[in-house]
Amino acid sequence: MTRLALLSVLGLATASALAQQDLLVKARSVVVAADTVLTGGELLVRQGRIAFVGSEIPADSRARARLLDHADATLVPGFVLAHGWLGQEADLAERANAFTPELRAAEAFDPFQDELQALARYGVTSCALAPSSRNVVGGIAALIKPGADCGTVATDDLFLKLSLVAAARDQERWPTSLMGAVELLRTAFTAARNPATANARDLLPLRQCLQRARRACIHADTYAELIAALELSKEFGIEPVLVGAAEADKCLPRIKAQNASVVLAPLAVDARQRQLELPGMLERAGIPFAFTSQQPELLRVSAALAVHNGCSRKAALAALTRTPAELLDQAAAIGSLRTGCAADFCVFSGDPLDLGSRLLAVYVGGVRCDRRSTGKTPAVLPPRHPTAPATVSSTVEEHR
Amino acid sequence: MNRRITLPLALLAAAASMAAQDQVTVFRGARIWPGGAEPIDNGVLIVARGRVQSVGGPSTPIPDGAVVQDVSGRQITPGLIDAAWCHGAGANDGNEQGDEVTPQMKILDALDPQDRAFARARAAGVTTVQITPGNRNVIGGLGAVVKTFGETPQAMLLKDESCLRIAMGAEPSMGNRAIRGGNVDSIYYRRPTTRMGVVWEVRKAMYDAKEYMERTIQNGAPPPDPGKEVLVRVLKQQLTVCTTARSEQDIRTALRLAEEFGYHTVIDEAQEAHLVADELAAAKVWVMIGAPSADRIAGTGAADGAAPRWSTLGMLAHRGVPFVVTTGSNLAALELVREASFAVRFGLSPRDALDAITVRPASLLAVDGRVGRLAPGLDADFVLWSADPFDPTAVALTTYLNGLATHD
Amino acid sequence: MKALLLAALAAAFAPCAPAQDTLAVKAGKILTITGPVLDNGVVLIQNGRISKVGKAADVEIPWDAKVVDASDKTVLPTWVLAHSQGGMRGANEAMQNVPFIDIADAVDPASTFFEDCLRNGVGTVHVIPGNMTLLGGIGMVVRPFGRTVEDMAVRTKSGMKLSLQPQAGGRLQQIRKLRRALEEVREYMADFDRRKKEFEQEKQAGAIAADKEWTEEYDRQKKPVIDLLGKKLKGWLFVPSAAEVDEALRLAQQLDLAIVLGQNVQKAIADIARFKAPVVLDENFEFYELDDETQIEKKVCTARLLADAGVPFALSLAQNGPGAYPWWQLATCVRGGVDRRTALEALTVVPARMLALEDQLGAIAEGKLGNLQVLNGDPLQATSWVETVILEGNIVYERSKDPRLKYLFAEGPDSKKAAEPPKGDKDDRDGKAGKAAPGAGNEGR
Repeated sequence: MTRLALLSVLGLATASALAQQDLLVKARSVVVAADTVLTGGELLVRQGRIAFVGSEIPADSRARARLLDHADATLVPGFVLAHGWLGQEADLAERANAFTPELRAAEAFDPFQDELQALARYGVTSCALAPSSRNVVGGIAALIKPGADCGTVATDDLFLKLSLVAAARDQERWPTSLMGAVELLRTAFTAARNPATANARDLLPLRQCLQRARRACIHADTYAELIAALELSKEFGIEPVLVGAAEADKCLPRIKAQNASVVLAPLAVDARQRQLELPGMLERAGIPFAFTSQQPELLRVSAALAVHNGCSRKAALAALTRTPAELLDQAAAIGSLRTGCAADFCVFSGDPLDLGSRLLAVYVGGVRCDRRSTGKTPAVLPPRHPTAPATVSSTVEEHR
Repeated sequence: MNRRITLPLALLAAAASMAAQDQVTVFRGARIWPGGAEPIDNGVLIVARGRVQSVGGPSTPIPDGAVVQDVSGRQITPGLIDAAWCHGAGANDGNEQGDEVTPQMKILDALDPQDRAFARARAAGVTTVQITPGNRNVIGGLGAVVKTFGETPQAMLLKDESCLRIAMGAEPSMGNRAIRGGNVDSIYYRRPTTRMGVVWEVRKAMYDAKEYMERTIQNGAPPPDPGKEVLVRVLKQQLTVCTTARSEQDIRTALRLAEEFGYHTVIDEAQEAHLVADELAAAKVWVMIGAPSADRIAGTGAADGAAPRWSTLGMLAHRGVPFVVTTGSNLAALELVREASFAVRFGLSPRDALDAITVRPASLLAVDGRVGRLAPGLDADFVLWSADPFDPTAVALTTYLNGLATHD
Repeated sequence: MKALLLAALAAAFAPCAPAQDTLAVKAGKILTITGPVLDNGVVLIQNGRISKVGKAADVEIPWDAKVVDASDKTVLPTWVLAHSQGGMRGANEAMQNVPFIDIADAVDPASTFFEDCLRNGVGTVHVIPGNMTLLGGIGMVVRPFGRTVEDMAVRTKSGMKLSLQPQAGGRLQQIRKLRRALEEVREYMADFDRRKKEFEQEKQAGAIAADKEWTEEYDRQKKPVIDLLGKKLKGWLFVPSAAEVDEALRLAQQLDLAIVLGQNVQKAIADIARFKAPVVLDENFEFYELDDETQIEKKVCTARLLADAGVPFALSLAQNGPGAYPWWQLATCVRGGVDRRTALEALTVVPARMLALEDQLGAIAEGKLGNLQVLNGDPLQATSWVETVILEGNIVYERSKDPRLKYLFAEGPDSKKAAEPPKGDKDDRDGKAGKAAPGAGNEGR
């Protein structure tokens, strides 16, 4: 009993000691961003962030740092999902009411769930946890990250989630129809724009969207839904992020003209030809697009299929890294390996878009997190998000 | 689930650019039905910039540089207009069932321009349709008049908020249930479950709207209510109501409500209009006859128990009741031109039958400044038929919309 | 109500006089189908058969002939339906393998279907069990007029219905079941012959008395299939789609078959041509086909495809909707690109040939039965109505006396008190009420 306690104390001490020390990461090639590759690259990680890149690394830091040599590997920024539910879609859907702008996805986040392990195992280091598409106005998304032991909420104040897909039209509550869903959005945004009514508390997120202080993500798949989403966006001066957009190929000029961006569902080998060619078409039209998936193992396959069907490698890799970070307005912190970004990276045995290369390791904040945790919970739970006070219980809870 | 048609966008872009130039096209040699007038044999139709430049007999002067198409042996009619077209939106998207009274809903928001039904309509020579919310709500919302071709509903729009849909009969109460103890967890536990409930919902909505209107005029304006705003426009006769009424009883109720609250209404479907022809004539209302070819009603509308007769159109014409022929919500409905050909079979003159699907619906929908006839300045919406349009062996060879061939 | 109905029907549909020996029809136009179109012609019917057809100047009308003046109208033979389930309750026996049941036991002479036949100019109907069984039973050819089934019968035991319509087990199961059913009867026949031979041998050997005869006969339930296998009875095989055409071709080598096509056969036209025999076309032969990949619709007219491949076909009429009208089905053929002559033959000589009655029906020519319809216009026009129907020299229908048309054209509320034919639900004999009619666009549901 005592020996166990001693070992665990030592383990914790080592871990914290490791966390303090700089990390010098070496690899055959480091993809800083989709268009910037360093061969024979090096990164210096300090306190979870990228302090220096390549030749900028000062010699003394280099000397003091712990070396992590991935000799033949390729480092890639950790994948970013611009929209996901992490298997918690039921907890993110307030079914009694379609209009719930104030709800926050962060409140439903479970830091210990298994999905986070899956994210880490397939190279996803950041994911925007969004309210369900079963609500027309679902609420505010949160940015969550997997970790060695448990997940964390990086920010709980991302985009406002809207939805016009069939799931939002529930036959058992308002709205049951597409015109009802559109009318709901139109009325809500009109009220948010009208000075007489704009001060209602629940309209605040919509007001922020109108003022361009917050992004709006609209889930729309069919042509009719996309047109409705674009019309509403035009009416209220919003540049939306269109999630899903399966039939975007039918209205590319319109999407481009309204400066909208797209978050695509994963591609499958048996998808229709037009779906496989869609990423290439979006790239040629100059429309920013990202890949997302509820199954992170499909991300690399999607990127590879996209390249196979006319998309450039650069755009495909960007669709997994920098573009989603930009769509979330988090490009300064994630999506690339520039100085100041979080040290979230994946180590591949070769080109990540080559399905033959293996994912060797995944790091979030400089800490390896793709191995199963030891099963012990930390003595102190991490704060829910950086700015909130830590709501901490000093007793270690039973791991479920 | 509706399926989509991939629009040959490249083709349309090319065609669009062609029309954008000042290309003048002449169609010569066909029998032309200009709408509202006698047909012109060996006629000349001149089209430019998406509009009709002139229509006339064989001696009509042809401008220099015009492209002349010889269409001898064919017939040309204005593009057909279906004032009660029940397609274009998803299966559940045309009825907002969250509430029985939803006057502010707009069917325009739910239209899918790529719905196969639009392509089929064009193939059948229909160029303009009025679409409204469905009959599952007592007051369903605002309809729109659109052309059967365009990239977006807004691009297809000819007239927004063309009417307010109100439904009489059994359909609005279908699906609603009375609470019988236990869970009250479904939105369908509500009134109306009977015909009298349906009428009560209309009355209540109108009473509330009247009260809202009067309070706005006096002091103490209530918070703005988009639904009531629409009903106020109806009460002020600024917006026409399209009332679905199939059986004799429902038609009478529809007329009674309109008189009670002083609003304008059109009677839609009207399968038993032959039994209330006198009242219709006295009320001076327009009647839209749905699927006159059928001798029975198929679909949920059958629950009204109306029994159609083939004498209806003849009787209405005889009594001077203004009417149009539509396809409507009867699942047994045929293409609009075939419905009109059955009208001829049952005794209507071919000229009247053609007017009932061109000139008269244009006038009813107040879009006769744009469509419904072939006349200088109006939109170049016309159909080239292989033979007399009411000949069952005739097909629509090409349908032109704004001067562009949209089906051939 | 029923008595009133029958009285009204009797008025419209009874012969106007006792059976005449001679009937002369003066016609503005005669479409003979097998011969030329005659303007201002006369058809002379004696003892139920056409004795002379020709221009008015060439035909002498006997002084005692009853004359029908159709000098401003068009006369043609009544239509022949080669395959129909109208006129009986329950078109499909629930049991699958019932080759022995006979449609004669199900035909209802008072059915509104036969009333509709006359109203639409149909003079001969082949009534046969429906498509939802394996071996459905024996059909019969009737005239749509008569008080009893015997009165109506033109030919009994016209053929046996077989169907490849997939049931619960699917397509392969159905094919297998049909083969099995035929094989079982073959085995029965072989066993029967073997036992008969044994009997004869034993008799020869003296084990059985010389005066004893073989008395066993074929099982009555199996007899019809035995006749089918011996090509003594025609089989009418329903082929639901292109996928079953191959099996149908195989069966056609063993049996004397008439092929009844389902709707989705457009991909197998070349194979259908290999039957080298006329086929019955589905009532729904103009429809949209959706390409799954491109989501583009294309209109298909199987009548056109068959005509282009040189396959003669007979038209069917729908149960309800516009396809119930012969003029609509004919016009749909022509719309689809079939020439007028082929379309007219599809409701006259081709079905007559399939029923082996071409010497009696399907054309206006000397020797054929005196079955005529008088139209007030061209048979392919929407404005044409059937004015009169004559079956074997008897006037059996006149539009001016038709109670159903009187009802449908009634004006005003007073007409409700007149004799009301069944509205459909309570008195519905055919279960027609409430069936959603297919729209003109024919949604492929």
